[in-house]
Amino acid sequence: MKFEDYRALFLVASLVSGVLAASPALSLFVSFPTSGESFSEFWLLGLDHRAESYPFNVSVDETNGPIYLGVRNHMGSSKYYMVYVKLRNQTQPLPDGSTGKPSPVPPLYEFQFFLSDDEVWEHPVTFVIHYTSSQNDSVVVHYTSINGVRFPVNSSSIWDWERNGFYYQLFFELWLYNTASHSFQYYDRFVGIWLNMTVF
Amino acid sequence: MAQAYEAVLDAERSGADVSGLLVRLNDAAALLSEARMAFEVGDFEEATRFAESASEVGYEVVDDAELLEIEANNAQVHRSGRFLVTSALGVSTVLVASLLGYEFFKRRYYKRMSKKSSKAGQL
Repeated sequence: MKFEDYRALFLVASLVSGVLAASPALSLFVSFPTSGESFSEFWLLGLDHRAESYPFNVSVDETNGPIYLGVRNHMGSSKYYMVYVKLRNQTQPLPDGSTGKPSPVPPLYEFQFFLSDDEVWEHPVTFVIHYTSSQNDSVVVHYTSINGVRFPVNSSSIWDWERNGFYYQLFFELWLYNTASHSFQYYDRFVGIWLNMTVF
Repeated sequence: MAQAYEAVLDAERSGADVSGLLVRLNDAAALLSEARMAFEVGDFEEATRFAESASEVGYEVVDDAELLEIEANNAQVHRSGRFLVTSALGVSTVLVASLLGYEFFKRRYYKRMSKKSSKAGQL
């Protein structure tokens, strides 16, 4: 090996050592992009804390659940969430996945909570539905109690000939606080369960 | 509540540990939910009581978040200063060691070369 080759090797080793020695200062000016996608998990688990055994047949004034509602923050920073609990009949619309708009059904119950990055929030939900049948062709839900708080509903449902029953859907919408608009915005995620109110 | 959350976010961006503040914000958020639901069912007295409690916690959190942010910013300034000094010392050491090492190596290399050439001349 010639002396020039040794010199080049020496120069490279010195440069690498120099960069390593300067790395504490360089870390102040160079930031690396965080890996992974930013999102929030949203789930609903059944009675046994598993994705099964959800309440389905709902008797009048009987306590149902608990079912478990959960959110996990993968957004990279602390977030302010809200979950709206809504009850709809077959004709009332669900949130619109194509436009990202929430359901126009008014919320009954709400949960508000803050999660730091990678933190999990989980909360049990129990519900009681008071409904009456009218001349065997429709059902009216008068009120719903969620986690012990009673809300007037007054929503009717007609007989579903396809599925043979009176059906309502209890669903949960995830909303996220937007610091730019200073308001909550629907996060385009919802979970729900169908309830059969044919059993009185 | 939103103001408190934004203050906590600012503190978090400055590198402060905001876990304690988030616990208190969660207490306040639960109170605010209770207030809204009490309002919906017409219990205005309860709604006011819950809302006032939530607001009180929110203002406390704003104050604490601002303090934490200042502390985090000060800590960041100290850390940056330490990093700069460490790097300056490190780079200087590497520079001096490289120059000295290079000189030493150059001398040894040429000494060895001259020994080799004198051996070749003797042969």
